[in-house]
Amino acid sequence: MREQKVKILENGPIAAGIYKMRFALPEKTDGLFCGKFVNISVGDGAHLLRRPIAICERCEENDLQTVTICYQLKGAGTQAMSRAKVGDELACVLPLGNGFRLEEGQRRVALIGGGVGIFPMVSVLKEYAGTGKDFNSYIGFRNRDAVCMADVFSSLSARAEIVTDDGSFGKKNNAVAAFLAEYESVKPDVILACGPTPMLRALKAGLKERGIAVPCYVSLEERMGCGIGACLVCVCKKSGKEENARVCKDGPVFEINEVEI
Amino acid sequence: MANLSVNICGVNFKNPVIAASGTFGFGKEFNEIYDIGVLGGISTKGLTLEPRLGNPTPRIAEGYGVILNAVGLQNPGVDVFLREDLDFLKSKNIAIIANVAGRTIDDYAGICAKLDGKVDMIELNISCPNVKCGGMAFGIKPESVAEVTRAAKGALQKTPLIVKLSPNVESIAANALAAQKGGADCVSLINTLTGMVVDIERRRPLIANNTGGVSGAGIKPIAVRMVWEVCQAVDIPVIGMGGITCAEDALEFIIAGARAVQVGTANFTDTLAMPKIIGGLNSWLDNHGIADISEICGVLRLNG
Ligand SMILES: Cc1cc2nc3c(=O)[nH]c(=O)nc-3n(C[C@H](O)[C@H](O)[C@H](O)COP(=O)(O)OP(=O)(O)OC[C@H]3O[C@@H](n4cnc5c(N)ncnc54)[C@H](O)[C@@H]3O)c2cc1C
Ligand SMILES: Cc1cc2nc3c(=O)[nH]c(=O)nc-3n(C[C@H](O)[C@H](O)[C@H](O)COP(=O)(O)O)c2cc1C
Ligand code: FES
Repeated sequence: MREQKVKILENGPIAAGIYKMRFALPEKTDGLFCGKFVNISVGDGAHLLRRPIAICERCEENDLQTVTICYQLKGAGTQAMSRAKVGDELACVLPLGNGFRLEEGQRRVALIGGGVGIFPMVSVLKEYAGTGKDFNSYIGFRNRDAVCMADVFSSLSARAEIVTDDGSFGKKNNAVAAFLAEYESVKPDVILACGPTPMLRALKAGLKERGIAVPCYVSLEERMGCGIGACLVCVCKKSGKEENARVCKDGPVFEINEVEI
Repeated sequence: MANLSVNICGVNFKNPVIAASGTFGFGKEFNEIYDIGVLGGISTKGLTLEPRLGNPTPRIAEGYGVILNAVGLQNPGVDVFLREDLDFLKSKNIAIIANVAGRTIDDYAGICAKLDGKVDMIELNISCPNVKCGGMAFGIKPESVAEVTRAAKGALQKTPLIVKLSPNVESIAANALAAQKGGADCVSLINTLTGMVVDIERRRPLIANNTGGVSGAGIKPIAVRMVWEVCQAVDIPVIGMGGITCAEDALEFIIAGARAVQVGTANFTDTLAMPKIIGGLNSWLDNHGIADISEICGVLRLNG
């Protein structure tokens, strides 16, 4: 992980309330793996905390290394980020966290993403594109206005099921239910998921109910202080242990049974 | 290059910039970003005799120019610290301050006895606002400040004792004096101010603990005023903190009388905050033709 001033190359809306920002890294940075995140300054003096945002895509062309993040306008901090202009510099530490890693034997992969949780799933697809993995993606949005990157899921997955809460785009369903309905026919070797806590809880309950013991890795969200593992602000409980894990350093990706969700 | 080194209670700090307790862990993570050997010192995460899990989450929230936290003294316990973290800090050749907390007077004495002679200084946290039994009870009244200080001091043969003062009190100067009377070798201040942020949609406090400790840039004027008051009241050295983000901020505290400063929240805003502050102190002193930082310690002159 490195502290650097990244330079904005692109920053604009891609769906209702969702912005995409692409920036260049001034220093050669290793380990920008899928499922890791950046902790980025929102660029004004009033907000002392940085915002943790998943790496959505990374790119290396000649000497230019770039990272793309996609963020939802939620509160004052992400609003401030959306006002940053091309050419502006923002302070950022990256890459952070452990990320999603697929083992060689894990060929059939189910991806489940809801809301802003779809962006780490995009990073997985891009990272493993052309490595012989077989992806089945189950992606949920609130409504048609929130839909973005559907083409990435369609083009890089063997099959992509895109659903919305209100049925205004694709079927009216949620990502977890869509996945569970197809589980028997797909039989994935591994499941990767990211989304709001209620979605991850539903997934955990669904797997348990059906006795599905396939390894399942989820990316968690928690409010952060330092973002690098020093302050113990961002913890979650380890299942069955009197012990906490740090979401920023030990995670954000955990085996679904390893932590309380 | 001005001389930045300071000596506090016989402990040498290569510069007066110390990482504030709870924002820097035991130094390992920040050392992945820069060599923490450049710092004057580190005050560790608050240690207790037994491991503690801390408060539920969310543990942090923001206000304008400030943050609130309620971590609740999560820590692995003093034995694990001694076994697994101390050697790393020693290898960095910086002053090591063990920040300690307890539920009872005996806890404070017990943890001090375990750490005596093993670290450079001990900082008694009698001011944590975020746990019911985090020592805050001892930090409010001058009598109990003196009592817990005396007990801690009685357990120490070798290591100098800092008492960290709470700003959530009637008179911080009176408490500083009580710490001095109880045998403190040094005082540090301020710990966080108790605050609350309300989530208006859920109509609940945003932090799981309901209240949290306010820190960061916005509290600096309060902290400087308190450091100045305490410097008037006691003869022992004072370490100042609260909202320091740059060298100029640190100089306000030093001019007001602090021998050294601690930096907390600024490490979250910029992981390189402390090395930048050290560099900034150097250039400020050079630009002002001051050869030694001690020349400007406590030189504040009041108006009128
Ligand atoms: C590892 C990780 C990856 C993430 N990836 C993405 C992503 O790719 N795209 C995206 O849109 N969002 C992502 N988030 C959530 C994102 O961090 C929050 O939406 C954002 O911080 C909100 O900031 P704000 O100023 O708009 O909101 P405010 O509510 O004003 O923020 C106040 C404080 O709370 C924190 N906070 C609020 N909501 C969250 C949350 N859900 N998770 C963590 N901190 C929060 C903020 O960081 C800030 O410190 C991720 C979170 C984590 C932990
Ligand atoms: C996340 C966090 C955790 C803290 N934990 C401790 C602690 O364990 N012990 C302690 O004495 N002070 C603790 N503090 C208080 C700081 O050491 C410091 O006194 C306070 O934050 C003011 O300085 P600042 O404005 O530079 O942050 C903590 C502060 C923060 C922000
Ligand atoms: S945010 Fe500081 S430990 Fe995770």
